[in-house]
Amino acid sequence: MNGAVPTTIIIAGLALAGYSLVMTALNRRMTVPLLAAVGVLEILLLVEVGLVVAKLASGQRPASLPTLIGYLIATPIVPVVAAFWGLVERSRWGPAVIAVAGLVAAVLMVRLHEIWPVIHV
Amino acid sequence: MSEPAAPPGTSQPDLTRTGPGRLLVAVYALFALSASARAGVQIATKFGHAPVAYLLSAFAAVVYILATVTLTVGNPTARRIAVLSCSTELAGVLAVGTWSLADPAMFPDATVWSGYGSGYGFVPLVLPVFGLLWLSRWSKRARTKRATVTSAQDAEDAVADGRS
Repeated sequence: MNGAVPTTIIIAGLALAGYSLVMTALNRRMTVPLLAAVGVLEILLLVEVGLVVAKLASGQRPASLPTLIGYLIATPIVPVVAAFWGLVERSRWGPAVIAVAGLVAAVLMVRLHEIWPVIHV
Repeated sequence: MSEPAAPPGTSQPDLTRTGPGRLLVAVYALFALSASARAGVQIATKFGHAPVAYLLSAFAAVVYILATVTLTVGNPTARRIAVLSCSTELAGVLAVGTWSLADPAMFPDATVWSGYGSGYGFVPLVLPVFGLLWLSRWSKRARTKRATVTSAQDAEDAVADGRS
């Protein structure tokens, strides 16, 4: 599998985390551009989940299928929950929650590769 | 009885889940999810392989869930349970971290707390410290409030007691 999508997710996740932390440092609340960036990350993660599901559908299996399925379910939930939790916070700590989601997205891609090395990063 | 307004100049968030607590609850929820999923998969699929590690994973999951819920609720009872959860978590990560280094044979498979949480960027080690620091702000505030609601003379006494 082409590793372009997970690599993009790692870069996007880290960039989102960096931008969010700058917002927190500058004492800014959640903004529409930040929310849009979370939306982009979510779309990228859904594409990646789709690619992995396609690989499963083609008959290939990882060493631990339950673990992989757990990751496939949890991965797209993270940005959605973070966006909600960041929006209800009307202080600098809203963007800080988004920073966590960005970092988690990047870490999840590395973990996916560890669980199933055919998923290139 | 209505609670007295916060003294001017203090802009502390009203609840344990707001302000920095929002970030804390987010990270706790993340660990509650990952520890539960990890323990669930391990116990369901290969319990005999490393029973001690998997039971510790499950215990860690329960502690993280408890801390997430109590930090979110944030009333005095919940805060007491949260202090207990964070303390248990700190003790657990220190004990299991040391144990996993001293006796690696007991841990053929890692837990959240193995190597002081090294598999999770040592977040499990620093998280309970931040949790307890955050909760300690509330206990200080509660003491201040108690001093405010008593009569002026009592309040003076309370301050004097606090200083002595």
